[in-house]
Amino acid sequence: MTDPRFAEIEGHRPYLVRYALGQLRDGQLAEEAVQECLVAALESLPSFGGKSSLRTWLTSILRFKVIDLQRRAMSERAHVELTDFAAESGEEGWLDDLFDETGHWRQPPQAWADPEAAFEQRRFWEAFEGCLDRLPAAGGRVFFKREIAGDDTETICKDEGITASNCWVILHRARLQLRACLEKNWFGKEARAG
Amino acid sequence: MEKKREPGDPVDCRAASRLLSAAYERKLSPMESQALTYHLDRCFMCRNFDSQLKFLHAASERFRSGDE
Repeated sequence: MTDPRFAEIEGHRPYLVRYALGQLRDGQLAEEAVQECLVAALESLPSFGGKSSLRTWLTSILRFKVIDLQRRAMSERAHVELTDFAAESGEEGWLDDLFDETGHWRQPPQAWADPEAAFEQRRFWEAFEGCLDRLPAAGGRVFFKREIAGDDTETICKDEGITASNCWVILHRARLQLRACLEKNWFGKEARAG
Repeated sequence: MEKKREPGDPVDCRAASRLLSAAYERKLSPMESQALTYHLDRCFMCRNFDSQLKFLHAASERFRSGDE
């Protein structure tokens, strides 16, 4: 008999790919890591006691696969590509799009009515993922590692080869972009709808 | 409704948003905290941003645990 959790595992794939992409920055490697993770997960599913959530368990397996692949990739590739950081954290011109010359919001953040209610709606999570996807590459990756994977800033800086202040700038920007995106695509719409 | 930085307000919205985000990464200095509190007491837009950051943080946590 097929374990019903097989289908459930498959449902976590997009999350896992995003996670792997955050760590590996390479679509092909990320797919590979997720594939290996899912195979390992299916094999050890009978021993999964359900103490943690399925996603947490899958992520912990994926972590090991990612580290393996990172080691392999590192030996093939001597240095890490850093160009996207220069564009995303170097200057602060991007802030001028969000704040006027007197330092005020161009599009003031609105009060979001009962935001936690959104958690219960599947469409909210689609909007959330859509907004994550629209972040610039480094921003999306660093935000994911920091806020979703819960890595500490020090680890992220080391992995990404950036300074702490680079990291803060990238996160500041990512948060501003995410909040604007959700306001436009979720909270604005909900408010209008009723 | 567009208000200028009040005399005595050490930070504008741009700087306040930076501090609000930084507070998730490091401990703010006493001066920074004080400046931020002063600004937040007077600026509802930045208070909204503060709430939104809390929301993003909570949403991210849910997303991680698959509690969607």
